[in-house]
Amino acid sequence: MAMHTKERPVPNGVVLEMTGDLTYANREQFKTAVETIRQKGCRHLILNMAEVRFVDSSGLGLLALVSQNFKLSQGKVSMLKPQSYVREIMSLANIQKLIPVYDNEQDALAGHQRAA
Amino acid sequence: MPTPAAVTTSPTVEEGGVHTVLVVDDEPTARMALAARLKRLGYRVIEAGDGKVGLEVLRRERPDLTILDWMMPEMDGPSFCEQVRQDPALLSSQILMMTSHDQPQQIAEGLARGADDFLSKAASKYEITARVQAGMRTATLIRRLEDVTEEIRRKQEVLERELQSAARYVESLLPAPGTLLPGVQMVHVYRPSLGLGGDLFNVVPWNDDVLGLYLLDASGHGVSSALRSASFSTFLRRENLLHHVGSSDPGAILTEANRLFPLTEDGNYFTIIFARLDVRARTLSYATAGHNGALLHRRSGEVCWMAKPNLPLGFDQSTTYLTEELTIEQGDRLYVLSDGLYEVPASNGELWGQDRLEKTVRAFGDCPLSEVVSGTIAEVIRWQGHEHFPDDVALMGIELTEKDFHERSSEP
Repeated sequence: MAMHTKERPVPNGVVLEMTGDLTYANREQFKTAVETIRQKGCRHLILNMAEVRFVDSSGLGLLALVSQNFKLSQGKVSMLKPQSYVREIMSLANIQKLIPVYDNEQDALAGHQRAA
Repeated sequence: MPTPAAVTTSPTVEEGGVHTVLVVDDEPTARMALAARLKRLGYRVIEAGDGKVGLEVLRRERPDLTILDWMMPEMDGPSFCEQVRQDPALLSSQILMMTSHDQPQQIAEGLARGADDFLSKAASKYEITARVQAGMRTATLIRRLEDVTEEIRRKQEVLERELQSAARYVESLLPAPGTLLPGVQMVHVYRPSLGLGGDLFNVVPWNDDVLGLYLLDASGHGVSSALRSASFSTFLRRENLLHHVGSSDPGAILTEANRLFPLTEDGNYFTIIFARLDVRARTLSYATAGHNGALLHRRSGEVCWMAKPNLPLGFDQSTTYLTEELTIEQGDRLYVLSDGLYEVPASNGELWGQDRLEKTVRAFGDCPLSEVVSGTIAEVIRWQGHEHFPDDVALMGIELTEKDFHERSSEP
């Protein structure tokens, strides 16, 4: 399934609304969307994963790459509301160690993770 | 008697750029008049006096354009078109149908039966020229498309041969099945999805009692992941590990590998399990990096997945990978596998999954190890309904055979 992304500015950051699959086939689109936001000087990228059904191994690598790139430009990446299957894939690869996961936007913006 | 096909070329046109037109008409006067006109326009012209001869010429000479009379004895124009469109070798031929039937309904019938365009017998010199040129433009485009398609097919063939040769090289890196150490047997299956896979496994002989084992999975597909795997497996050779890491400890090895193999600029990385089997101490120690495919099937029947939630290699430079340790007994079996073995969809999209894999391994009980391994693959193939795996599949089964293991462990 194709991926659509939409940026939405929030105080001190950008929410990227994602729809579709974060997979090998959609890697260029995701990379371009994220890189555009980073080059505008965004310090906090919040990936809204609520409408993402599937993340494959390439998708995991992209998430790690994005997190590393934002770190290099003194920024950070957070994740919002991943679906349960995606959440499971993330936790098997321990991605939340790199990208904190939040259940709502206020918490993500405030940067304090609610205990699961 | 059908009129034999006659070929005539205008002397004024140079060879090479000359296009060929086949004129099929049973009426000699009309045919010759049209042929003369086409020759004056610079075309090479072949004439045929009926549809049957026309088809033979079409097959033999592959003219750029065929101008066809509608009304002919035996095979009329529309029947000629139908035969052409049913023949894979001819179906891209351009056909201009010439007729005094120029009622819209008849034109529609001619087009429906396979003509590309129409020319009225009453058409002006100017219109004939224009329609022939339009037909030639289409014919040229079609021919170019056919040439490019053929070129792509040839290049594809070359590429596939190269991939196969690379695939044979990757397979030559795999360990030979059989006795790894006295009392340790191994069998494996390797089924790359594209001929050339990013999964690789091997054995690292540490000493007479201790054996290293690993299975790695390079993210991505095809050539680049196979190259990265092959390069990683060079790092994982015994001498290199002793030199670089100075230890056979799985956690230390992965911690060092994590530093040396960062994410690629495309976000590609490795997942890996590295194990250390000590037959004297009866321990299985291991470390994993984002790899969940390892299970220990104990002789007692207990099944233990060895997965630990852990970052894949290259995700975070500061990660320290820790070694876990299990005790092992004679008769225990270790299965190390890639996720391509169980992330296999059935026709309805449902994945086979780790639970079914575990159930399958349990159901085989203490059948010979090679049967468990081949039977598990057969089970997955049944699930997906075909032989072609969507992702690379690697499965390595290791057994501590009772007899030899017992003899060894009873030594003083």
